Amino acid sequence: MKRILITELNKRVITKIMRIQVTGKQDLGPSTPWTLGPFLIIIALLIFVTPSYSENKFKLKEGANAKLCVDCHETLQKTLESSFVHFPVENGECSTCHNPHTSDHGKLLSDDVNALCRKCHEDVLPEEARSIHKVVAEGNCVGCHDPHASDNQFVLLKKGNDLCFECHKDIGDFVARVEYKHDPVEKKKGCLTCHNVHASRDFNFLLKKDAPSLCTQCHRTGERKFAERHMNYPVGDSRCTSCHNAHGSNTRKIIFDGAHEPVVKRECDKCHEGPLSQTPLKAVKDGIELCRECHKETIDKIFRKAQVHWPLVDSTACMHCHNPHAARQKNLMKGTMVNVCGECHPDKVALQQISIKNPENKTICKPVKEGNCVDCHSSPHSSDSQLFIAEESMSFGTCNKCHEWRSHSTHPIGDEVIDPRNENLIVECLSCHRAGGTGNKPKMLHYGSTYILCIQCHTGYRK
Amino acid sequence: MMIKGMIKKRAVPATAVLLFFLVYPVMAFGASAVKGKHITSVYTYKVGEDIKRLKHPQGVGCSDTSLFIVADTENELFVQYELRDGQVKTVADFKQRQVSRPTKVLINSKGDIYTLDGKKRRIVKLSSDGQFIDYIVPKGLPSPESYVPKSFALDRSDNIYVLDIFSKRVLVLSPEAEFQKQIEFPKDHGYFSDVSVNFKGDILLLDSTKARVLYATKHEVSFSPLTESLREYLRYPTNVTTDSRGRIYLVDRNGYQIVVLGQDGSFLAYATGAGWKEGLLRYPSQVCLNTKGELFVADTDNNRVQIFQLIQ
Repeated sequence: MKRILITELNKRVITKIMRIQVTGKQDLGPSTPWTLGPFLIIIALLIFVTPSYSENKFKLKEGANAKLCVDCHETLQKTLESSFVHFPVENGECSTCHNPHTSDHGKLLSDDVNALCRKCHEDVLPEEARSIHKVVAEGNCVGCHDPHASDNQFVLLKKGNDLCFECHKDIGDFVARVEYKHDPVEKKKGCLTCHNVHASRDFNFLLKKDAPSLCTQCHRTGERKFAERHMNYPVGDSRCTSCHNAHGSNTRKIIFDGAHEPVVKRECDKCHEGPLSQTPLKAVKDGIELCRECHKETIDKIFRKAQVHWPLVDSTACMHCHNPHAARQKNLMKGTMVNVCGECHPDKVALQQISIKNPENKTICKPVKEGNCVDCHSSPHSSDSQLFIAEESMSFGTCNKCHEWRSHSTHPIGDEVIDPRNENLIVECLSCHRAGGTGNKPKMLHYGSTYILCIQCHTGYRK
Repeated sequence: MMIKGMIKKRAVPATAVLLFFLVYPVMAFGASAVKGKHITSVYTYKVGEDIKRLKHPQGVGCSDTSLFIVADTENELFVQYELRDGQVKTVADFKQRQVSRPTKVLINSKGDIYTLDGKKRRIVKLSSDGQFIDYIVPKGLPSPESYVPKSFALDRSDNIYVLDIFSKRVLVLSPEAEFQKQIEFPKDHGYFSDVSVNFKGDILLLDSTKARVLYATKHEVSFSPLTESLREYLRYPTNVTTDSRGRIYLVDRNGYQIVVLGQDGSFLAYATGAGWKEGLLRYPSQVCLNTKGELFVADTDNNRVQIFQLIQ
């Protein structure tokens, strides 16, 4: 019993030591020689009093640990000279992770790399995380960490943001390029000022906190200067990132590039009641009438068409799809096309997703593949044609923008060719294809094979 | 005494037998599949000697008479037909300048025609012979400036139920369009496309994006879910109606079919299938049912109206 307890205690201490080794001095907190000294003595005692935590399962001779490995793996010696060495490596416990004889895993690892790391680092992920770093979810710990040693803290492959920008190259390039930079991105702890590295239990994008709580850790919203900069509107509890790009911008005050003009010009009262009003953040008009104040011509044009997209005429109106302040996407779109359109048309997006993910489905229209709904539905606000297309006909107008339908095949097609299945239809692109994608069916056909498609009309050829 | 005893002895099995014969068919009926047997398809209408073709009809209204009316949306007119012995004959066609783009169409108990103008977003009332009567402008409405009708329904007493998407509510109006009451949309919802009212006066609300039906009984002041998401059975429902037994018919626009639910919202059957040939549908917009069990479907992308006989 005593031994079990000691072993358990030993394991805990060893975990602590591993943390010290891996993290350098960071995790020691307010350590001083007064606290560290006795602590190390206890550790040393425990190590000598109880058997080694890795139980010498390969029955190596005394002193053979690591020495045996280094005899052949000469580079290991140099590795050990790094500033930060993974604890088992430093202790010569190669067999903690590797099987010296055989293995089902690469590099003679004794288990899957993900499982292997978790054996000791089981607390890396919270039980229920709102967001998990992709590389962590995939169990690719070695994507960021060197399992042996490194000159960077936490045995990381690279230092600070350089490591993050290896994968998040677009953000790295953007941050380097923009004129106005958000200090924490480049200085302080870089990305890790705002983001957790492995997972975030409560927030998206691995954020440590959500806006505005995260922002108010540095920015004091109670100060007069803050109020003045925000035209005295009480925005201290508003979501900062609806106007500001936390990574940087080419616009002053890191307001999103391409932000809505009144935001850039600080004309909040164009849309909102005055800052001294009892409801200062309330819009001065409801629904599309608010937007019509400035975009009259565009909106009048929209409403002249035969069919108006219904969301435009409710109280949310334009803001179903557009962010009224600023956005990462062009035209102040709230998100990618697939995300924005998919809010109301999840069935269409689901079909598109199946279509593009099917490896057999090699022939697929570019807009479907890229999820650019407006490439075809190019008049998404209103249209005189079906399906919010700008052209008169989907087949002979919209498809024709990319496909020369007259030379598509020798099959008769066009205004003069009546569909044998329905006397009120002509044969056109959509007679055979479904433009938004057909899931697992090939070539965006309505049916599972060309044969089944053809025999719908050419019934004489049915087997 | 003896007679009483004899009667008493026989009364139990007789009641049981009677109950069995009364209840079993109802139970069986509720659980049975409902199928639409194709009667005919309507592609054209006659104007004098000329034959005109339907183009993207989005509405069809029917009644218990042999007459039915089609909103021929792209041609911006109405066509009245007569269905007799499985044959369809054009009765009249009429175009009203007060209706720019007819979509949903319903007929009330007096034969008057109600339609939603999809372009002007207003409900218009026409007489049975197509004469303009009035716009349905709710009288005594709280916040009348915030009113945009997306769809509407009529009950047996000709009360009007309007889906007001601007103020996120369903309005109940008298036949003279006087405001009776309003029920607000529930907090957690997607996009509501249609409203209907069943024979008991319960209001059904169709959430297209969440693919579910909500309801409020005649005296309730809020909506509750009747179904969970029906995504397993359909893709994007846009129109809802009920029959005289309370069964619910959903038009699955993107799934090209008519889905039948029981009164409790449980899935019963697909009444039709998807395709181009007669009896099949593409982007249907509206269904209408009469007490004869005839199901009229505005088969929009097939440029026709199809008529089915519902069979158990």
